[in-house]
Amino acid sequence: MSSPAITASASGIGRRHSVLQRLARDKVALAAAIVLMTIALAALFAPLIAPYDPYFTDLSKPMQAPDGEHWFGTDNTGRDIFSRVLYGSRNTLIMALAGVLTGGALGGALGIASAFYRRLDPWIMRLVDIMLAFPAILIGLSVAAIVGPGIESVIIALVVSTVPDVARVARGSAIGIMGQEFMEAGRAVGVSNAALIWRYLTLNCISTISVFLTLRFGQVILVGSALGFLGMGAQPPEAELGMMAAQGRDFLFMAPHIATIPSLVILLIVLAANLLGDAVRDVLDPRLQQ
Amino acid sequence: MGPVIIRRLLVSLPALLGVLFLCFCLLQVVPSDPARIIAGPDAKPEEVAAVRAELGLDRPIAYQFAEYVGRLSRGDLGRSIISNKSVGEELADTVGPTVELMIGAMLLAVPIGLLLGTIAAVRRGTLTDRLIMAISVAGVSMPVFFIGLLLIQYVGYKWDLLPFTGRTGPVWDGGLPSLILPALTLGCVLIGPIARLTRTAVLEVLGADFVRTARAKGLRESVVIVHHALRNALIPVVTLIGLQAAFLLGGAVVTETMFSWPGVGRLAVGAIISSDFPTAQGAIMILAIAFLAINLLVDVLYVYLDPRVQRA
Repeated sequence: MSSPAITASASGIGRRHSVLQRLARDKVALAAAIVLMTIALAALFAPLIAPYDPYFTDLSKPMQAPDGEHWFGTDNTGRDIFSRVLYGSRNTLIMALAGVLTGGALGGALGIASAFYRRLDPWIMRLVDIMLAFPAILIGLSVAAIVGPGIESVIIALVVSTVPDVARVARGSAIGIMGQEFMEAGRAVGVSNAALIWRYLTLNCISTISVFLTLRFGQVILVGSALGFLGMGAQPPEAELGMMAAQGRDFLFMAPHIATIPSLVILLIVLAANLLGDAVRDVLDPRLQQ
Repeated sequence: MGPVIIRRLLVSLPALLGVLFLCFCLLQVVPSDPARIIAGPDAKPEEVAAVRAELGLDRPIAYQFAEYVGRLSRGDLGRSIISNKSVGEELADTVGPTVELMIGAMLLAVPIGLLLGTIAAVRRGTLTDRLIMAISVAGVSMPVFFIGLLLIQYVGYKWDLLPFTGRTGPVWDGGLPSLILPALTLGCVLIGPIARLTRTAVLEVLGADFVRTARAKGLRESVVIVHHALRNALIPVVTLIGLQAAFLLGGAVVTETMFSWPGVGRLAVGAIISSDFPTAQGAIMILAIAFLAINLLVDVLYVYLDPRVQRA
């Protein structure tokens, strides 16, 4: 998991520029990035784009198939699914982003601390092992049992399940950097520990961690929406893609679009995130370029 | 092999304690004071205190935790708040179906994944290869419940081929049809990653000297691929299955809920939604322990498949 590529990549802006250019030349990566951006923007500007109020029920028009009036049809209480998908994507993406970013920051801090303060290493790694003993869904169920179902519970679960893996990756990368001469040089000229950790270690680890988090993003969305589907996440009438799929399940045979459309949106987001993650890794990992 | 297993067991011990402690915490969140409930609404403070002392609730947390572990070791997991059945009984009823579902999923996913991956490797660079890899990426990105919804809607409902709710009985007693759709749903989670890794592993092995030797000996290509390449490619695949155990368990929870499959995952979800803490605690514990056990098993299997590991 430790990547020798990154120590070099942080050294020049020119190289990073070429990384973006190379990504843009990869047609699959470009398409994936465009899809993700579109969904993210649509989710961000949901209140402006949504043609209907996502909570407005119209019992005279339940379970309508998609048509010109309701692009994605209506659900069992006549709510506009397109509007709900926009708001639902918003919640799903916020959940995943909060999970990945917070988990990434905490895990990164643990991993780097583990590499820098060798005395802490065995303790932190034991903690990480214990955390790894819980599959993400189980963490989600436990958190929901303790604090009650809700988006916050899912976010906590996503954070907790992201921390140990990131900690391992960050530790591996940081240990590699600890062995570099500039660390030694920094110590020799009396750079403070805080500066060593932040400017020398963390900034050099950040790209490894971000590649890992990009690769992880799709998975986090899958776990988050699965928890939503199980009823551990957003509660009605709130919209969240996994929960919407679960609600549609009861009407699967009469109106399959209610469950299918949110599921398809999840598939699209995860697929795009995975393809983009793979492309980023391929560009940044020199071992694969030969 | 012995020392490896013992070392692995020791490593999983802290994790096991972590699991138990979490489950213990689950029982602590019961919203009201159990001593007050038992003593009754009109009880005087000293009576409540007496009950509390009797239950050991006035002792330090560490003591209570030790006592909890002691109770567990005697098989006492408490009683369900909802059904009033003992949690041990509830678990005993649900573990079987879950194991059945997971084994069924593996039996479907492993051969299909190995087959697809090997074909992709042998036909490297062709349209077949690209198609298989595209399917596996799509498979990895698919929410479990979407696969389930599609299978239920088409295979179960529209084409009316297989049952899709509940479990009609054990596999050996006419339960096979009701197992197929849930097992397929869960298996789909694994097919993509297995196919992908098998392809890489087979490609790597195909370039090895012993494969060239086998070909030079004039062995049939099918023998070379199955006996020489695939066999050696199995080692990373076994590790992968261990790594995927988390997805398998998570997927099982979702699959059971969708197909009303009477397993531990569905029990856990139901218990959480109805705030049945003792049951939730027991179900989560069993699932977490199962996860530890799968990983342990995979490590042991790994040593068995690759004797080089022992020397390391």
